[in-house]
This record gives sequence, structure tokens and C-alpha cells, in this order.
Amino acid sequence: MTTTTTTTTTTTTRFPFPLRYSFPAFFSLQPNSNTRAVQFKHWSKLIQSWCRHHRIYKISLVEATKSPLFRNSELRKRLSLSDARTVLDWMSKGEEEGGGGKRAEWVDGGKSVVWVWWRRPEEWAEVIGEWVESTGQKNVVLTVYELIEGEATISQEWHGMDTEVMFRSLNVLVKQGKAQIFGSEGQEGVKFF
Amino acid sequence: MASRRGVGLGAFANRTQATQSYATHGANLRSTHTSSLQTQLSVFQSLLHTFALEHSSTIKSNPTFRAEFARMCNVIGVDPLAASNVKGKNGRKGPGDSTSFWTQIMGGDMNDFYFEVAVRVVELCRETRSENGGLLGVEECRKRVGKGKAIGSGLEVTDDDVLRAVKSLEPLGSGFSIILVGNKQYIRSIPKELNTDQSTVLEAIQVLGYVTVSMLQINLNWEKARAQTVIDDLLADGLVWVDLQCPEKEYWSPQNLLGDGDEG
Repeated sequence: MTTTTTTTTTTTTRFPFPLRYSFPAFFSLQPNSNTRAVQFKHWSKLIQSWCRHHRIYKISLVEATKSPLFRNSELRKRLSLSDARTVLDWMSKGEEEGGGGKRAEWVDGGKSVVWVWWRRPEEWAEVIGEWVESTGQKNVVLTVYELIEGEATISQEWHGMDTEVMFRSLNVLVKQGKAQIFGSEGQEGVKFF
Repeated sequence: MASRRGVGLGAFANRTQATQSYATHGANLRSTHTSSLQTQLSVFQSLLHTFALEHSSTIKSNPTFRAEFARMCNVIGVDPLAASNVKGKNGRKGPGDSTSFWTQIMGGDMNDFYFEVAVRVVELCRETRSENGGLLGVEECRKRVGKGKAIGSGLEVTDDDVLRAVKSLEPLGSGFSIILVGNKQYIRSIPKELNTDQSTVLEAIQVLGYVTVSMLQINLNWEKARAQTVIDDLLADGLVWVDLQCPEKEYWSPQNLLGDGDEG
């Protein structure tokens, strides 16, 4: 369909919504607990892939309920604010608590802004670690800015990443003794071991 | 013989003799019949055998052909799947040999084929059970099995193959059955019967896309309580989903969601 801009970013291509997005009842939380559990699972999947497609790390619920993610204008259905909150609450819980495996995290206590972890910081840490290894940049000092915006990382999925997520991911590496962060705020550098 | 009225002791002997010769004659006739039937049967079996062998690759690869072949076997009363698992105790080949027909002629491939289909059907039913309440359209199932999960793992099958596969699960007491709602066949993977009202409502959803309580009241002439009860039951069993964002609650069937987003 959209074959003209294939190389640059995926953000320009249309997000392929799953079939469920065209199922009217998908937008109302189901009363049956079994059914609802599957529904949560599928919403979680949809939210994650939507965010991944658009390289979104953090969503504001009020805004999101107006975006195509939660609002199907064709069907004229939407996931209400409180239902969206319920879904994200479920996503933020671990699987052992009957949740969605910590794929979301509230930024504020008021539950209006939320991190969507299509990759959790630990997972990012692993990805970055592998990249450092494969490009032979151990013991090299990089600025965090470079890591996020530099030309060398254009092909990487984290390119243009939210700075806070980057720091959280790097901190995982620090804890594992695989990196060190130094420098003053706004001009941090990082060295990988 | 019968014209002469037997008198005296000899009559008894005569009568016994007559009965005996009738019996022998009957037995003779019977055995001739049997043996001729047996010959016919074995001729036929060998012909079928040759046919199956000759076309075995086609049978395996071409689903339409396979279905036709299976139908033919059915018509003449040979159940290709009838595999009693008692292995021939004395190892003697013959009509008493009790391995399945498919196994005999195709070296087990065909049975394996249906078992493979059956395994996928079971997987699929389990995967989707909480979403569709354990009711899965045969057609949807067939499409999904045809797609397969991994690359190149799709099995080209017909509805008939799926039905046969589900049937092959019967001896396991698996609780998988085929039910008919309206004119559409479903695999029921939860051993729970649908009552007539529930079937009726599901059929209505098939036709109309969704139903509401008042639609049921008008179209089926049901009282409100009856319509509501049926809907509530279906909802509780996870067979329908409710859309609350309408003037009146709409109830939808999750049947068409299959195969979407289950991968990855």
C-alpha cells in the first residue's frame, strides 16, 4: 500500500490494526472474567504494538483516548478513559499477580500518564549491551545524546528514544557493572565495559 | 420321499436323515456364499488398495481428491479411520488384521496426517477457548490450520478433513464434538450442551451479525425475560461479547476474530 517511503521510518507507514479493532464489542470491557482476561491480553498487545510502531514510550491517557488507538472513528466506538485505565492497570501488574507482565508503569500517582513498556528497561539494556558488543565499542566513551540521536544508532530501534527511558536502561547496565555514567546533567557520558 | 408315509421305526431314521441333509445343504450354501463374498471383498480390497497406492501422492497432496476418496470409502462402508489399536496378535495378515485401512495402504502416513490435523485443531481450540467460549467454526478452524504457525507448516485441508480429525479424537473421550448451529458447523471443545434457545440466538447472530434483547423479542416472539436469560447464559459461557456503547446492548459473536494476533 505505502511503498513510497520504505526506508526512513516506520512511523510514516500506517499502523496495521488487528481484526479485533473492527470488532465493536472489543471496546467495551466484558463482564465475563474469562473473556475479559483475553480482552486485556489483546488490548495489551495492541497498545504495545501501536506504541512500538510509532516509537512512543509514554502515553497520556486523556490524549490517547482521543487517538485512533483507543478510538475507532469508523465504528464510532472507543475505549473509555476509565476502561483504558483499567487495561493499563492490568498491564502494569506482574503476571504472578494476574496482570499483564509489567508492560506498563504509571508515571504519576493520579494515573494519567503511563509508560508503555513494549520493551522494558532491562530488555533495552540487553539490546544496547549487544549493540555495544557487536560494534566493538567496549571501553569507548559515548555521550548519551550520541547514543540516542547519533548517526551510528539510526538503524537501532532505540534511536530517538525518550531520554528517561535511556537512563533507566543504562542504569540497569550500571547495576550489572557493564557501564558507567558520568558527567553533569544534560551532558552525560557513558562508558561500557 | 415325502409321498410315502413312513411307518415303523425306519421313519424315525429317515426323518433324522432328511433334517441332516437339509442342514448340510444349508451349511454348504452358506459357505459358498461366504467364500464368494470373501473373494469379492478381497478382490475389491485389492483393487482399492491398488487404486490408493497408485494415487497415494494425489490423495495426500490434493485435499479435494482426498475428500472424494474418503467419501467413496464411506459409501461402500469402509471407514478409513477405523483404527482399532489392537495390533494383530498372531501377526497374520488377512481380513482379521486390525490396523487401520489408511495404515495398511499408505504405511501410516494418512493416519499421521489426520492426527496432525487433530493436534492442531486441539491446539487451536485451547488457544481460543477463553475468547470464544469453546465454540469454533469448522470453516475458521480449517482456514487457520491451513495457515499454520511456522513458515511452511500450513496444511492444506478441507472441512471434511477437519471433521474427520475431530472424529478421530472421539476414542480419547476428549469431549470434542461437532455441533450444528443453523447451517454452520462448529467444533465444541467444552463438553456442554447448547439448549435450543441458545442455538437459536447464535443462529440469529450468524445471520444478523449481532442481536439485542428487543430484536429477539420481536423476531422470535419471546418474552423479555426469556431473551435476557438466554443472552445472559451465552455471555456467562463466553460465547458472545457485549457492546455497551449503543442505545441498547448489542451482543456479538467473537467467531471472526480467529487467527488474528495469535501469532507473535
